[in-house]
Amino acid sequence: METSEIQGRVLKILTPYVKDNSALENAGAETNILEDMKVNSARLVDVVLAFEDEFDIEIADEDVDSVNTVGDCVTLISEKLS
Amino acid sequence: MADATLLKPQERRALLRQRWLSRLLSPLWLPAFTAAMYAVMRWRIVGARALRREYARLRAGSDAPLLICANHLTMLDSFVISWALGGAGYYLRDFGGLAWNTPERRNFADSFWKRVLAYMLKCIPVTRGANRGEVALVLNKVAFLMSRGETAMIFPEGRRSRSGRVDRTNVAYGVGRLVSSLPGCRVLLVYARGEGQQDWSDTPARGERFHVTLRCIEPKSDARGLRGSLDVSRQIVTQIAEMEEAWFDDRQ
Repeated sequence: METSEIQGRVLKILTPYVKDNSALENAGAETNILEDMKVNSARLVDVVLAFEDEFDIEIADEDVDSVNTVGDCVTLISEKLS
Repeated sequence: MADATLLKPQERRALLRQRWLSRLLSPLWLPAFTAAMYAVMRWRIVGARALRREYARLRAGSDAPLLICANHLTMLDSFVISWALGGAGYYLRDFGGLAWNTPERRNFADSFWKRVLAYMLKCIPVTRGANRGEVALVLNKVAFLMSRGETAMIFPEGRRSRSGRVDRTNVAYGVGRLVSSLPGCRVLLVYARGEGQQDWSDTPARGERFHVTLRCIEPKSDARGLRGSLDVSRQIVTQIAEMEEAWFDDRQ
C-alpha cells in the first residue's frame, strides 16, 4: 500500500478526534497529533484501535509509545502491513 | 505493557534514592500532614478503623502487587485516601503501604518547594497529554516500584471528574497497561467522597466528613495488546462507578 494512501486513511481516522481543524487541513508527516492537532491524549488509544480495524493489523502497547506524529502512524502501519 | 526492565540503572537508582529520602524524613512529615488534616482542616474519615484494618489485611495477606484506583474529585484526594487507609503510625511501620502517586506536573512545577514536597511525598510527576514515551516511562517506574512491594495510586479517569460523578467514557488506558504487566496484580478500588462534595474542586471543604468504600479485584481480559489494556481500564472505571451508585443509593 502506498504511503500517501495510508496517510490519507490515517487523517480520515483522526478527523473526528481533532480539535484544531487548521492543523488537520495543513497536516503532513511532521504534524504532531497531540500538540498540533490537539487530540485528547486519552483518545489516542481509540485512534490506534481504529488503525487496527481499518488496516486489519495488531498494534502492541509498546508501539503506541512511538506514535507522536502523523508520520509515526504511517511508519508504524507500513511496518505492520509489511 | 509497562516494563520495569526497560528502566535505565540510573532511573532505578533515582527512584530508590527518592524512596530512601522520603522514608528517612517520614517521621517528620507523616505526623505533620496527619495533624494538618485532622486539626487544621478538621477532616474526618467515617469508619477509619475498619478501613485501615482492611487495608493492612490486604497488604499483609499477599505479596502480589497492589494498585489503588480511586475516583477523583479534588487535588487532595490522594492525601485523604492515604489517610483513610492508614494512620501515620502504620505507614512508619509499613512505608511501602504509603502509595506512590503520579500527579500532574504542572500543578507544582511553578515552585521549587512544591517540587521538593512532591518528591518527599512519593510522587512521580507526569505531564497530562505528554507524548506517549514520557507516559510509558512513568508507567515503567511505577511497575518497577510495585514489583518491589510498593503500592501505587492512580486515578483511572485521568483527571478530576468534571461532572462530579465518575466519567465512564474517560478512561486512562495506562492503568490497564500497568495492571496487565504485573502478574497477579490486585486492584484496590476506592470510592471516597466528602458529604459536602457536590462536584469537583481544588480542595475539600474544612470540616469535611469523608465516606470511603473499598473493593479489591483482580481484573483480567481475554483481549490482547491495546484492547486488553483498555478492557482492564474499563472494568476498573465501571466498578468504581458502581461503587458510586451504591454510595448515593445509601444516602437516599
